[in-house]
Amino acid sequence: MRIGALTKLLEVANAPYDRLADLKKKKRIIGSTLADVPEELIYAAGLHPFLILGTNNPIRYSAALLPDNSCSLARSNLELVVGYQGDFFDGFILSQVCDTTQHLCDIWKRKFSDHYFENFLAPRQVARPSARDWYAQECRRLRKELGKYTGKEITDDDLWRSFRIYNENRALLRKLYDIKREVPALMTNREFFDLVKATFFMDKEEHNRLLREVLDWAEQQKGHLQGQEGYFKLIIAGIVVEPPNIYDLIDEVKGNIVGDNLCSASRYIYHDVPLEGDPAEALAERHVRKPHFSPINSDVERIYKDLLELYREKGAETIFYIHIKYCESQDYDLPDIKVRMRQEGIPLLELETEYQTTHLAQMKTRLQAFCESVLGRM
Amino acid sequence: MSDEAQQMRGKMSAKELSRKLTEEYLQDARTAHEHGKYVAYTTAVSPVELFVAHDVIPIYPENHSVACLTKRMGTELSMAMEKKGYTSHLCAYARSDLGYRITGKSPMGGIPDPDFLLACNAQCFTLTKWFEVLSRKYKVPLFVFDTPQWIRDPGARKEILKYCIRQLQELIAALEELTGKKYDYDRLAEVMVYSRDASLLYRKFLDMAAYKPSPISIFDALIHMAITVYLRGTPQAVHYYQTLVDEVQEKADKGIGVVENERFRLYWENLPIWFKFRDHFNLLKSYGANILTSLYVHAWSYEFDISKDPLETLAENYVSVFSNVTLEERADMALELFRRYCLNGSLMFINRSCKAVSFAVYELKDIITEKTGVPALIFESDMGDPRFYSETQIRTRIEAYLETLQRREAEGV
Ligand code: SF4
Ligand code: SF4
Repeated sequence: MRIGALTKLLEVANAPYDRLADLKKKKRIIGSTLADVPEELIYAAGLHPFLILGTNNPIRYSAALLPDNSCSLARSNLELVVGYQGDFFDGFILSQVCDTTQHLCDIWKRKFSDHYFENFLAPRQVARPSARDWYAQECRRLRKELGKYTGKEITDDDLWRSFRIYNENRALLRKLYDIKREVPALMTNREFFDLVKATFFMDKEEHNRLLREVLDWAEQQKGHLQGQEGYFKLIIAGIVVEPPNIYDLIDEVKGNIVGDNLCSASRYIYHDVPLEGDPAEALAERHVRKPHFSPINSDVERIYKDLLELYREKGAETIFYIHIKYCESQDYDLPDIKVRMRQEGIPLLELETEYQTTHLAQMKTRLQAFCESVLGRM
Repeated sequence: MSDEAQQMRGKMSAKELSRKLTEEYLQDARTAHEHGKYVAYTTAVSPVELFVAHDVIPIYPENHSVACLTKRMGTELSMAMEKKGYTSHLCAYARSDLGYRITGKSPMGGIPDPDFLLACNAQCFTLTKWFEVLSRKYKVPLFVFDTPQWIRDPGARKEILKYCIRQLQELIAALEELTGKKYDYDRLAEVMVYSRDASLLYRKFLDMAAYKPSPISIFDALIHMAITVYLRGTPQAVHYYQTLVDEVQEKADKGIGVVENERFRLYWENLPIWFKFRDHFNLLKSYGANILTSLYVHAWSYEFDISKDPLETLAENYVSVFSNVTLEERADMALELFRRYCLNGSLMFINRSCKAVSFAVYELKDIITEKTGVPALIFESDMGDPRFYSETQIRTRIEAYLETLQRREAEGV
């Protein structure tokens, strides 16, 4: 049986704009896109950071603004703000990680010329020391700009407080991930990742409070539930998993996601911001330690090395790679990842998807066939 | 003056010179290791001066791909890499290149394998990912020169420059490690002078399009830009562009235009459709129209300030290339070309190969048409893959557009 806190978080994850309509009365809302905008700064400025995760609605408004072959993440993000929720936001801070996001920033800015707008120029390499310093520098710039926007400088104390709240949030989510891994019957993959999703939208302290309740409940429940029996362990690789019904399909075949490198999960919850030294350096320190993200250049073998490590460390049986159609970054990685996994004898299932994929029947058939023939599950 | 006439005077024409320099350059690259030199792959927009001053020969897989595409090998090479699991949505240069790596097919006997890779993302992000594939394949280092978008904020620009300069220092250290040789900054200073001179002459050549009628078309620019792409930083490039400028000046002085009765002076947005190059030229010519320029060909008209630290002027020039500025600034750059060359029409191509240049073109068109009052034709296709090119549709649309221009002209607009 679900407890109230869990139900509330799931509702927020699935209908954030309805459930959080009141937020606007309390704080100005700043939307940002995946990945790597240091939300801690927005929070410290007394603003509400809100991560934009697109819409699964059919594309109507953004089609005329973008080329046919833009990825659905970009399309559906723009669709969401241009078509539906533009008024929800007071401003935007968008990060640039690839050509699509770089130029999307320009289009977005033009469409919302009356909103506060900042580019966050995250380093597109983490291969060398300059990247870390540049990330810190961008954090300093953003801190200053946010201060100008609110008319109030962000103090170091504001920052340390924000870092603590965010660190706690990440720690709670990691803890819950650990329990879910061990006791998959406790909650479905969909539920767990929805819980994570809720943090992108909600007030962090509120999320922490609800999460603590969920954790208490999880601790109590886990002893009464069976362990791994009947489940198979898998790693999810990619950027985001959309539409979220993909998690439902994995739940149906009793897959237990035990690790991931998603921007919408591990990249968000792993590693804390050190609570000492210079605050911008502290944010940079966390940044360079994050799991590998396809468009950000690093050791070129990390595209599979990190996955192999995760797979072995977590004792997984397979890797599911969520491939966003027209994401050229993933397009370049995938063939080499597949070859390497084949060499290593690791079964990998590629699931190509778009935010607007509504008919999952075909994916379901593929998934079931894979489980039967490759994993030997009936 | 015809090529023959030039030869008779014992002086090579620019065209001949280009052929000769290209052959020598490729020969040099092919025998690099025998002469204690190295081969580095790099992007067309990148601080190649650092290589030239350090006996590292830059090779541009993009240029090789252009050769493949103009020889209409694009589809065949793409299909070879599609069989290996890559998609047909990628940049046609990358597709041709990866196809070449699989099949070995090339219209020019291939290019030597790399010892080092440099991708500058002021040009595009694609090259980073494409070179990551090559880096894994050849087990050679890849250096990504990361150039954050050149946003219009003086404070941010100062910091961006610092980050870029710091990376150029990192690049120099990587080159020293590759070659085991200490970097020679005096040589770099010399290379910078050649690069500055060649770039200025190249720009002068492009600016000949301001003459009425124009003695050059964009197709000339596309052919003649090759040398500055792969030989800037050398005295040969300076000599070449001087020869070219002299030749074109002679035509301009005589009032010789590329298109007789030139009526429409057009802007082209994006890279060319390489395999349609000639057809487009001829179609336009029949209407008295000539495409004069694009931001793309201007990407190499750098303005190096040799009174500055070389790394600083390199960083400044490369980070601010048109594909890395904001949409507003890019529109301003295009509008400046409209003014300088008295343009009265524009063809705006959305190239599915190239998100870097194409992504915001719908918006760019809005800005440009609003500011100039000149209608523009916009169409989607691919620069290198005929499978994504609809002959009748595009031809009909270009013709209809030219007829619109004719109507406007008749109405005295
Ligand atoms: S990294 Fe891929 S999914 Fe993300 S915006 Fe760029 S192209 Fe789209
Ligand atoms: S055509 Fe565009 S995407 Fe392809 S290499 Fe050139 S700049 Fe990059």
